Amino acid sequence: TTPIPIALYGGRHAVTMLPGGGIGPELMGYVKQVFKYAGAPVDFELVDIDPKSDETNDLEYAITSIKRNGVCLKGNIETRSESTGVQSRNVAIRNELDLYVNVLHCHSYPGVPARQSNIDIIIIRQNTEGEYAMLEHESVDGVVESMKVVTQSNSERVARFAFEYARRNNRKKVTTIHKANIMKLSDGLFLETSRKIAKEYPDIEHNDMIIDNCCMQLVSNPHQFDVMIMTNLYGTIVSNVVCGLVGGAGLLSGKNYGDHYAMFEPGTRNTGTAIAGKNIANPIAMLSASIDMLDHLGHKQHSELISDALRKTICEEKIHTPDLGGTATSTEVVQRVIDHILQADIRAW
Amino acid sequence: ASNARFYSSEIKKCTIIPGDGIGPEISAAVQKIFSVAQVPIEWESVDVTPVRGPDGKFGIPQAAIDSVNRNKIGLKGPLMTPVGKGHRSLNLALRKEFNLYANVRPCRSLEGYKTLYDHVDVVTIRENTEGEYSGIEHEIVDGVVQSIKLITEDASRRVAEFAFQYTKENKRRKLTAVHKANIMRMSDGLFLRCCREMAEKYPDVKFEEKYLDTVCLNMVQDPTQYDVLVMPNLYGDILSDMCAGLVGGLGLTPSGNIGLSGALFESVHGTAPDIAGQDKANPTALLLSAVMMLRYMGLNDHAVKIENACFETIKEAKYLTGDLGGKAKCSEFTNAICEKIGR
Ligand SMILES: Nc1ncnc2c1ncn2[C@@H]1O[C@H](COP(=O)(O)OP(=O)(O)OP(=O)(O)O)[C@@H](O)[C@H]1O
Ligand SMILES: Nc1ncnc2c1ncn2[C@@H]1O[C@H](COP(=O)(O)OP(=O)(O)OP(=O)(O)O)[C@@H](O)[C@H]1O
Ligand SMILES: [Mg+2]
Ligand SMILES: [Mg+2]
Repeated sequence: TTPIPIALYGGRHAVTMLPGGGIGPELMGYVKQVFKYAGAPVDFELVDIDPKSDETNDLEYAITSIKRNGVCLKGNIETRSESTGVQSRNVAIRNELDLYVNVLHCHSYPGVPARQSNIDIIIIRQNTEGEYAMLEHESVDGVVESMKVVTQSNSERVARFAFEYARRNNRKKVTTIHKANIMKLSDGLFLETSRKIAKEYPDIEHNDMIIDNCCMQLVSNPHQFDVMIMTNLYGTIVSNVVCGLVGGAGLLSGKNYGDHYAMFEPGTRNTGTAIAGKNIANPIAMLSASIDMLDHLGHKQHSELISDALRKTICEEKIHTPDLGGTATSTEVVQRVIDHILQADIRAW
Repeated sequence: ASNARFYSSEIKKCTIIPGDGIGPEISAAVQKIFSVAQVPIEWESVDVTPVRGPDGKFGIPQAAIDSVNRNKIGLKGPLMTPVGKGHRSLNLALRKEFNLYANVRPCRSLEGYKTLYDHVDVVTIRENTEGEYSGIEHEIVDGVVQSIKLITEDASRRVAEFAFQYTKENKRRKLTAVHKANIMRMSDGLFLRCCREMAEKYPDVKFEEKYLDTVCLNMVQDPTQYDVLVMPNLYGDILSDMCAGLVGGLGLTPSGNIGLSGALFESVHGTAPDIAGQDKANPTALLLSAVMMLRYMGLNDHAVKIENACFETIKEAKYLTGDLGGKAKCSEFTNAICEKIGR
């Protein structure tokens, strides 16, 4: 594949920013603040998408912007309209940009209270088809069909991505999650394809597990998992279960990749409507997404500077927002992160 | 209205399907405990190994179908389903054959058996006849496969009604509809609409709606925020197994399938081929399913007696099977329960 084209002007990167709804805008504000103090050479191009509108102008503009910049930082976009003709904006963006894989590195934060500790799981999820194909129709009154589409080509891309990832990151095992005992053709194809690709990677162990058993194993014995691959819907289930185990929706970030573009966002893709504007949302997930983005752009120094500051704040000083059982406000956490950046010996600029 | 109640004065016939793998061992254990407890039922054991029908397709033997239709109540051990090929899931066929439209799975923390989660007490109610398990699949062109998830108003409404009725009858605190209508706008949207409409008929039942992903996230953080949950087929399958994981695994959780003209109770777990035939399986799940069956039949005194003996045996922790970290055989655990009942 060709390298991702990225917009670079005078050593600075242009990145599309889609704050979305709920806590998205406030979290983006924190990212901008932290980037300013860290001197991160990134200029954001802000695109707001109106959740109430059925129009797609905003959406098209957002997609154009990402195509131009190659990289995007994203909150969760609400689709308020209940009209069945209106697609989820989030799904539309991922499909249009062909971001076929979602990668979630689920790891425990030492010092953060959680149900499980020492978790280190990579969840790799098919991101553009499956149950999210959104092909639905009402055949007769009161009878609805929803299509789940699985293709060999997409299954193959995801499996290959997973095994390459495992090899590059020194991971030992890949587990395919499926329900091929019931959905013999669709999940069967996904499973068969991953088995076929696995043969090309004899150095990496491959096994498979049925989704319901997998969820049971996750809550009772999560340490058996290393890299996991799955179709779209199982991805949202497994991601949320594992994030719940390590401390909730406010901690982890997810990455979406295609052959040409990359999009970074909080791992569980929550809107957080109920906690918006209260200065209690955990800023870590979005800051962590911004660190992933800096890594992707090659700004290693800046990403290390910020992730060090995060680690000190969260793991050492234990300055936590209420979702982690703490009493700190969002802005107190962010201020502490900024203090650490300012105190760092090695300034990035 | 379909819940025909039976009274303890008469001896009632119940179908039992011992099943595959560990099925026969745990079925025998349940039968033994029932006879010691002098439960007034007579078992009619049937075999559901698929036979080739007149149409050439493999299916459930007619004798088994007749037995369940006659008795209207049954207990079933796990059945084997081959992955990726072969005949369709027998579990599925049974559900379809008897129109078992609601699957009820209570998950409760057991006193004396420590897990990461205490005080779990959730009941999942799963639509059991359609959804992702419709079995309609095809390959459109080479390498492109479609599976159809089927949601109908009738099936959604009746499972919603069952859930509201269950929540009310069992004096539970709240009912949560679990859905993904932000993505599957028409199908899950229809399911959700049926729940909302039913909520209006049950104003005294507290009702809420949650996204599937949010429930997954919250359930593993703090399961006490949920009580009774109702959802389409696949979500119910996954969430009920996860909840079982919270309280100590599949060896412990019972389930009931409620139908239009009868009910079939079964353990949630599979055939566990790794330990089959070795007297190592935990019969608790099937036993507690049988206890659910007794309650459904109105045999509450027997239900309480057996349940207490089972819980006490687990709490004492002298005779625990391997899945609960013990060394006891299935038969030793069973004997311990029988002894408590006999006292
Ligand atoms: N950054 C965050 N910090 C703290 N809590 C969070 C954060 N993001 C999400 N949560 C919590 O995670 C849970 C699920 O999030 P949320 O309610 O947004 O889910 P959702 O499915 O996106 O629903 P909605 O679209 O109604 O907001 C909520 O309890 C929310 O408060
Ligand atoms: N009643 C039980 N007592 C003890 N261990 C059990 C019991 N049921 C399940 N297990 C354990 O849990 C594991 C997985 O369970 P299960 O049999 O449900 O899945 P499976 O092996 O996929 O079977 P199937 O293909 O029939 O669904 C088993 O291998 C076994 O070790
Ligand atoms: Mg959400
Ligand atoms: Mg299951």
